[in-house]
Amino acid sequence: MLVLSRKVNQSIMVGDNVRVVVVAVDRDQVKLGIEAPREIAVHRSEIYEEIQRSNRAAAGEGAPQAPRTGAVNRAALTPRKKVPKPEKNH
Amino acid sequence: MEVTMEFAQSATIETTRFGTVQYAETDIIEFPWGLPGFSGLQRFLALSLAEQPNFVWLQSVDDPRIALPAADPWQIFGDYDPRLPVYATDTLQLRDPSDFTLLCVVVVTKDAEELTMNLLAPIVVNLKTNRARQVMLENSSYSVRTPIPRKRLEAQGAAQPA
Repeated sequence: MLVLSRKVNQSIMVGDNVRVVVVAVDRDQVKLGIEAPREIAVHRSEIYEEIQRSNRAAAGEGAPQAPRTGAVNRAALTPRKKVPKPEKNH
Repeated sequence: MEVTMEFAQSATIETTRFGTVQYAETDIIEFPWGLPGFSGLQRFLALSLAEQPNFVWLQSVDDPRIALPAADPWQIFGDYDPRLPVYATDTLQLRDPSDFTLLCVVVVTKDAEELTMNLLAPIVVNLKTNRARQVMLENSSYSVRTPIPRKRLEAQGAAQPA
């Protein structure tokens, strides 16, 4: 892991398109700002890891997989009538 | 409404859960960004068992051992109000409500007593392009492990994806 020391308002470039800025430091908490293109997802690591664990649990990793019987069809996926509203902040 | 596999231009995979599954290339749902926990897997089929029409199994075409059960969140949680982040609507090119649907991954707890649904990270599927992405609702209060109330499951007539 690359470790760099930064003071408040200093920043780090990750690749060509992502900038990480130290916005504030308060005791043991660091507030970071991320400037990245809209298409890049930015998330707290622990949330990402929680989703990983959940997906693996859903797929039944580690659990024995008994073959099923019965007809299997392509699922009919249809659009929702109710529209999810866009997120307020990005 | 059930749709059976097309026989023309079809391929097959030997899945661990469902045995031999026949499919057409047009059935494939592409996950260009993979899935957290399965980042190398990008091609999936959406399958339903005849006796469990309310559950969608996302069966990996790349790894026949991997299939994730999911369901329409609004079947169980009528007031689910996910705010999709810009990176999701942008990268999946969602322009119109009729373009897409959401599926939330379901986990059966170890003792098979309970089901939980991941409302924090819905899978968004663009139905026009057949591309999908699992999206994290970072700023919401939704939980990865939202218990599915047994009563609502039964009311929907949905059997557990045991």
